[in-house]
Amino acid sequence: MQVTNSVMAKRDKTPPKGRYQSSMSKDDSKQLTEWLVAVAEKRDKKAFSALFSWFAPKIKNVAYRQFNNEAQALEIVQDTMTNVWRKAHLYHPEKGAATTWIYTVMRNVAFDALRKIQAKKEDLLSDDIWPLVEGEVTETESFSDYLMDKRLLNLVDTLPDNQQQIVRAVYFQDMTQEQLAKLLNIPLGTVKSRLRLALAKLRQQLDDQSQD
Amino acid sequence: MIKHHPKLDLIQAYTQGKLPASLSAAISIHASMCPDCQQLIDEQTELHASSVFENGGVNEVIYETETLSKIFAEADLDAMISAITSDDSVSQSQPVADKQVEINGQTYQLPRALANINHSNFSGIGKISRASLDLGEGDLHSHLLHIDAGGSVPSHTHKGFELTLLLDGTFSDESGEYVKGDFIMLDSSHEHTPISEKGCLCMTIADDALHFTQGLSKLLNPIGKMIY
Repeated sequence: MQVTNSVMAKRDKTPPKGRYQSSMSKDDSKQLTEWLVAVAEKRDKKAFSALFSWFAPKIKNVAYRQFNNEAQALEIVQDTMTNVWRKAHLYHPEKGAATTWIYTVMRNVAFDALRKIQAKKEDLLSDDIWPLVEGEVTETESFSDYLMDKRLLNLVDTLPDNQQQIVRAVYFQDMTQEQLAKLLNIPLGTVKSRLRLALAKLRQQLDDQSQD
Repeated sequence: MIKHHPKLDLIQAYTQGKLPASLSAAISIHASMCPDCQQLIDEQTELHASSVFENGGVNEVIYETETLSKIFAEADLDAMISAITSDDSVSQSQPVADKQVEINGQTYQLPRALANINHSNFSGIGKISRASLDLGEGDLHSHLLHIDAGGSVPSHTHKGFELTLLLDGTFSDESGEYVKGDFIMLDSSHEHTPISEKGCLCMTIADDALHFTQGLSKLLNPIGKMIY
């Protein structure tokens, strides 16, 4: 396959450096993110091909150094890129670079593969150990003005689902209570009371924690 | 408040997927209760990811990035890409089933990292009972350890290392009191006698049997493996 994307072409001309320096420009990083988002939102096959071209040789290199086996390294490439295709919707650009997310996908695939070889177990524990979905508590710009405190974020996770839903929508996504009532098709009063309960519970738990 | 955390080198190895499943799970559980460590993990992951993908790697010999055509000369690249993209289904994240354990009438919720790891039945002597986690890691033995209120483990040292991760409840030893989330790494230079006033559930990982050091409990050495 002919590689035509600009990122690849640019990088190939860069002579190898003797030591680490972040050589990736902001534009490159932005381009990778756009491709990944296009895969997530539009199932864009061209964008996926571009991602594949950029990442596959690098993944293969890393995997080859880890497993010292050509076939195994190619399998890691295939499994990683398959998961990128199937799980792209779990990527949130505001939480980090595309390279970081794809790295974690690769790390998980390699971890499960290594376990299969070393412990003879096919229990696929990586997604429990490093959940791709929840568990990330990094702040995002969209709500950094509000619940900055990670402790608070962690507490939100402990709320019952229906209260969490309301708290997240109102505080993290800036929805009004009226909009939310309409969206969820429940009375405005229910939204208000769930929010009140949730906030009371958070306050209570914060008090408990600070007494520890 | 959590006072005992994994060291940086352990966190780095964890983010790079280089630790055994048992230790990885323990760090994952600790981080889920410790926002500071979670933040450190996020930062280290980002750092490592960029060193892997944006260059050859920190302090590592730079490899020449092979061209795609060279790597995939034999494997059919187009076929690989279209095989992947022809399946249009997306992975739905499966809600993780809650896993609970009941020990002597008390029920504990196990953390997600342990949800899919099988464990044996609990068995033990007196107020101590434990179940082994089926991880198949050779000399590295992982257990769930339960101490009933008022129970204690006889004074012992470790020939290798012993990690105790407090999942619920509290216990104390000569060095002080430990709370839920504490990540306590000990080696052969430590001798301790854990006591739990109100009872607790721990995850323990040790690479060798314990060595009991005092009085009658020395008799336990030959059977140490059975009780702890």
